[in-house]
Amino acid sequence: MKIKVLTVFTLALALFLSACGKSDADLAKAANDKLAADKVTGVTVAVKDGVATLTGEVGDITVKNKAEASVKSVEGIKSVTNNLTTKPLPVATPSAPDPALTAKLNDALKAAGCSGAAVAVSNGKVTVTGEVPAAKYVTCVQTIQQAGITGIDNQLKKGK
Amino acid sequence: MSAQEKYQTLLELANQNGTTYELSEGDNGTLVVTGVAPSEEAKTQLWDEYERLDPEFRSNDLILNISVGQAGGSGTTYTVESGDSLSKIGKHYGIAWKSIWDANRDILNDPDKIYPGQVLKIPV
Repeated sequence: MKIKVLTVFTLALALFLSACGKSDADLAKAANDKLAADKVTGVTVAVKDGVATLTGEVGDITVKNKAEASVKSVEGIKSVTNNLTTKPLPVATPSAPDPALTAKLNDALKAAGCSGAAVAVSNGKVTVTGEVPAAKYVTCVQTIQQAGITGIDNQLKKGK
Repeated sequence: MSAQEKYQTLLELANQNGTTYELSEGDNGTLVVTGVAPSEEAKTQLWDEYERLDPEFRSNDLILNISVGQAGGSGTTYTVESGDSLSKIGKHYGIAWKSIWDANRDILNDPDKIYPGQVLKIPV
């Protein structure tokens, strides 16, 4: 009699669990496997009632987004709470001291046909004034941003 | 919204089109993206996306410093000295160590092992 009760109970439990789908532990394992397959590291996944919570610190926002998408794609995960943080960024260093950077910028601007632009550099931050032909505008902005500067105040005007 | 969030589609695009990049923080929270694109086309894609997100580039919250790697290149080389590392050399040229690594895969086997006298191609 006792055995029979136990059997019925076990069967009922098995039926109950299978009706619920995968357990949280299974989902967490599947999520971790998916993250590993997608080469995302540094992420801890906790699953409760099918809701995954991601914690940890990752390199940048693209990794944060990728981790979320990876875990969302796991069958059985209902939703994802993305509590990942991104690594604090190192402080940018200018490619040269201000006078050298100014000279470099002026040379590059002249070479790019942007001689109407004037730059003033302070601790790597560049204030750009003056006017360049509208057709040259993007090129001039590119030239300035590629000089190894760490800040910009763009007041450059588009002329004719 | 942080600059990283604002420009996330640009960074995603860089990952997709094979641009290697490093992030740093410049003046007053400015996001500084320093990287090397595999082609002019890839670089143009990034600048187009930048222009889409910040028409006329007047938000002053992003500095996009992308060069085009290799393919003959400008021919800058650097001779390794004792005590050098790829990140140290990268810092000297204002580029990511990874871009030096990528440009010298033919002579390097390990990014942590460079030897005095080796001549590295510098993708600037």
